[in-house]
Amino acid sequence: MRIAACDSAALGLGLMLGTALADARARVPELAVFDHDPAADIELLGWLADGCERYTPACMLDPPQGLLLDITGCVHLFGEDEAVLAKDLKARLRRHGLSGRLALGATPDSARAKAKYAKAAIGALPVEALESGDKVHQALRRAGLKSIGDLAKRPRTPLAARFGKAVVIKLARLLEEEDPRIIPRRSLPAIHTAQNFAEPVSRTNDVLATIEQLAGAAAVQLRERGQGGRRFEVSLFRSDGHVARLGVDTGGPTRDSSLLMRLIRERIDALADPLDPGFGYDLIRLAVPLAETLTSVQVGLEQKVDTDAEAVALIDRLSVRLGADRVRHFHARDSHIPERAALERAAQSGASHGDWQTPQPGEPAMRPLRLFETPQAIEVMASIPDGPPRQFRWRRNLYQIISFEGPERMAPEWWRHKRGYEAGNGGLTRDYYRVEDKEGNRFWLFRRGLYDETESPCWYLHGLFA
Amino acid sequence: MNNEVILSDISSPLLARGNWREYQPNKQDLLPVGAPAVDDRLQGGIVRNGLHEFFGAQKGDAIAAAAFALLLALRLPELGARIFWISGDKERQGSGRLYPPGLAELGGNPAKMILVQAANLRDALRATADSIRSKAAGAVILEAQGNAKLIDLTSTRRLALAAAESGVLALLVRGDAVPMPSAASTRWQIRSAPSLPLPGNAPGLATFDISLLRHRGGIAPFTAKVTWDHATRSFHDTPLSGGFSTVVTGGEADPELRIQA
Repeated sequence: MRIAACDSAALGLGLMLGTALADARARVPELAVFDHDPAADIELLGWLADGCERYTPACMLDPPQGLLLDITGCVHLFGEDEAVLAKDLKARLRRHGLSGRLALGATPDSARAKAKYAKAAIGALPVEALESGDKVHQALRRAGLKSIGDLAKRPRTPLAARFGKAVVIKLARLLEEEDPRIIPRRSLPAIHTAQNFAEPVSRTNDVLATIEQLAGAAAVQLRERGQGGRRFEVSLFRSDGHVARLGVDTGGPTRDSSLLMRLIRERIDALADPLDPGFGYDLIRLAVPLAETLTSVQVGLEQKVDTDAEAVALIDRLSVRLGADRVRHFHARDSHIPERAALERAAQSGASHGDWQTPQPGEPAMRPLRLFETPQAIEVMASIPDGPPRQFRWRRNLYQIISFEGPERMAPEWWRHKRGYEAGNGGLTRDYYRVEDKEGNRFWLFRRGLYDETESPCWYLHGLFA
Repeated sequence: MNNEVILSDISSPLLARGNWREYQPNKQDLLPVGAPAVDDRLQGGIVRNGLHEFFGAQKGDAIAAAAFALLLALRLPELGARIFWISGDKERQGSGRLYPPGLAELGGNPAKMILVQAANLRDALRATADSIRSKAAGAVILEAQGNAKLIDLTSTRRLALAAAESGVLALLVRGDAVPMPSAASTRWQIRSAPSLPLPGNAPGLATFDISLLRHRGGIAPFTAKVTWDHATRSFHDTPLSGGFSTVVTGGEADPELRIQA
């Protein structure tokens, strides 16, 4: 077992990464040792990255121990220069008992190398900063090129010929000649507004009032673009680094801030564990990750209630509160198998569609009003084996059938079965009967399987008629 | 003499306040059931912007109560009025899901149906109250099977007031529950009735035995047999299959209304 990580006090005692644990214990008998947990490290790093989103939305993890922030154009929000931002970040880290090495560079690679090797100048970085493998580093050192500064003075072409193009590209990035963008953890929303607080706020009303203000600002941006938001995301940055996120989806594009506030209130009410402001939030951000075109609508003079808009608003509210999959509408599907013919989809996901048939006047309904998700097994007595049922028992009640219609034969969808085109593989045919008992209850029964398909077909109750 | 003058003085502002609207509906606020015998007894129909309760007569009649409420909602004059169907997880497991082809065959438009499935009755009641208030729906149906303490005078009163204000038809399907005091405008007991068989002894059109148990306007309880006609989206009196039979029975208020075939 070897040491994977240690703190500065341990380094001061002469321990190093990679020292065998037995040696380390021999040298420092009172050493406190914990198992290395890489997953927890990454989790902590992710938590730190969440907190760092207060500085810039473009944050990237650099495992195992690094974070890259693209602060281009963000500095003026925090003070005159980068030092103010760095000071704030350091103070926040210290509050959690963490220490960090901060470095600023024009490219991510240079900033990263400066932080890793604790050098202020690029020229002073060792050649290991190229991260091109031990062989390359060794060869460079043997040639007397010990620092990036030495390399920078040499012509690049022989270098590329000797060590490959990758080394030259890396060198250009370190020397801040080429600027690769970082890949942020979250895609940057086109529209976002934020509010900083000198003194953290913790009262829910204050938080909601701030969100409302931000929603108003976002609505202005959306209107300028001729768009409406489909998804809104509120990030609440707690002063101790924790970030709570509230997401709200809408059924149609909207920039109505009062509607948005209603949805956000619903969302807060529906939270499994309520918002814990702790010592308060010092930054609240509202982002619109998804927006669609929304043209302005002229409201009629007669003040007529637009039931469609009302319905969209109501569906949004219920979906936010109960969950989007609990507010549904119907979709028709092209199948003759009854349970497959109709689907239910989240009402927010789009308009209901389907071509439903209405029978001729005077003809009764051939399909039940209610259908059981799983057909209910029943015991049936029939006068002849493949004839209509005479009476049946369901949920311990006996029903005497006095009138019936059927069978309506439904062949199985053999093409859904493996090798279904072969005899006996396609599934079982169903014979459906519409029956009425002497009390006036109307049922939809079926026998699964014909007598030449199976020896003992079973009967099921599939639906109830009005 | 003095007393009378004072009484009339007191009563006029009370009446003018409008609190009586739900008890004394105007003609245009009524939704006719369609069957002449029933509408005569109801003096025009049921209150459109009110709350109505439907109980099954027996355990197996939960479907009849649900179907009758749904068909009443289909009676709304606005073609394609949205219907919100709100139920809990329990109802869906117990009596199956609403089947759109069957709904279409009864004259409904499945595209205008919104299903809301709440985890429990408390959420379902809240969703119902919100749906009634929002004016998005023509009718809101809450299905709550079994006896439930949450559905009491207070909660039904809340729904009834919301319906009176928004003009939404609110229907409460109670299935096999035992009737408890509530603020509903009418309370009905529904039972599946044998249909008039079609040629070949096939089951016919949906037929119900309906009994008015209670009416806020003081209309006496009565019983009737009605059949749903999907072509006209209307109930009509069940045609009689020979012999003497009474379509509308019970109710001492107006014995002349008894029809004899």
